Amino acid sequence: MKDRPLFRFVVVVLAWLPVAFGVWYVLAPIILWPAQLLVTAIARIGFGDLVSNVEAHGATLSFVTTLKPGQAAAGGILSVDVNMLLYSFGLPLFVALTLAVRERGWWRALLIGYAAMLPFIAWGVVADFLKNIAITSSPLVTSQAGFSALERDMIAFAYQFGSLILPAVVPAVAWVLTHRAFLERLRASADRLQRG
Amino acid sequence: MIRFFVLFVVVLAVLFGLELTPWAQQWFVVPWTNALAAISTSIVTMFDPNVMASGKVIRSATNGFAVSIEAGCNGVEATLVLLAAMLAFPAPWRHKVVGFVIGVLAVQLLNIVRVISLFYLGQWNFEAFEWAHLYVWQGLIMLDVLIVWLIWVRRVPRDGDDRVPPAAPPALAAS
Repeated sequence: MKDRPLFRFVVVVLAWLPVAFGVWYVLAPIILWPAQLLVTAIARIGFGDLVSNVEAHGATLSFVTTLKPGQAAAGGILSVDVNMLLYSFGLPLFVALTLAVRERGWWRALLIGYAAMLPFIAWGVVADFLKNIAITSSPLVTSQAGFSALERDMIAFAYQFGSLILPAVVPAVAWVLTHRAFLERLRASADRLQRG
Repeated sequence: MIRFFVLFVVVLAVLFGLELTPWAQQWFVVPWTNALAAISTSIVTMFDPNVMASGKVIRSATNGFAVSIEAGCNGVEATLVLLAAMLAFPAPWRHKVVGFVIGVLAVQLLNIVRVISLFYLGQWNFEAFEWAHLYVWQGLIMLDVLIVWLIWVRRVPRDGDDRVPPAAPPALAAS
């Protein structure tokens, strides 16, 4: 196996992944608590007229809105549930990548990566909520939300980017940025192989 | 590294924005997804003849279970991420082209494994299907992209050294 450092790295990542996924899933309410705080702050500050409360049920956030789901006066209020796991599956990937390298100060890299990912998890969750009330709900709800066509387009893009790209890409980017020395060693080992 | 990072984000955002346009959806994403369903089905029918593809849907004639390959599962986004990472990294164009072609093959090979595994996982246990679909395979595909990129980066010649051959087939990444 000519690519031994990389091969070893991949094997160790694959060994850590099930462990990391298991811990992430079981401890999600705790691990994602800072993201929940961030989402709540964004909802209160940015969409205070639409969101009256954000409640956590495990890894699911319920956005209690001021919007009415139907025309009846006693129709209650609309609540939107968002699964935070959908936007945080990159955490176990980042942990597995970091533990596979385990450079000096790996715990610091873990903390930096974790902190870096929280805003993007919040992005996905908030965009999911906005997509629900602005685009995929009934016309009665979307009209109450009052977003313009341009704002709905921006919400659609933010949701797509926040669900299809960011959850997977951010951990990889965070890992690359926090492990530049490892990458340099990988390149150097490839240079040695090609020379010798 | 900062230049690479900024360029990567910009290129990725532009590529993703283009992908969402109706033109790209009609002429690229839909045919790509249908082809993925057809290729996956043709592989599956080698050992399970009661499976058929219709557009982006793969269906079992035995029990009626079907999966529809949607955005995020067709490998288009993973391909865009790989393309953006290779475009952003300083390397000769020849290496970018060869690396991208081989890299797309590696990513799509694993994506076919994902589609087929989910098709059978869903027939066995829906909870396991949801777990694998929503979390595990998403991470594995991105890991595949990262490994392909790492293999490619290792083969990129340093400044002033254009003798290093382009990336070899990254079979490791798809295994």
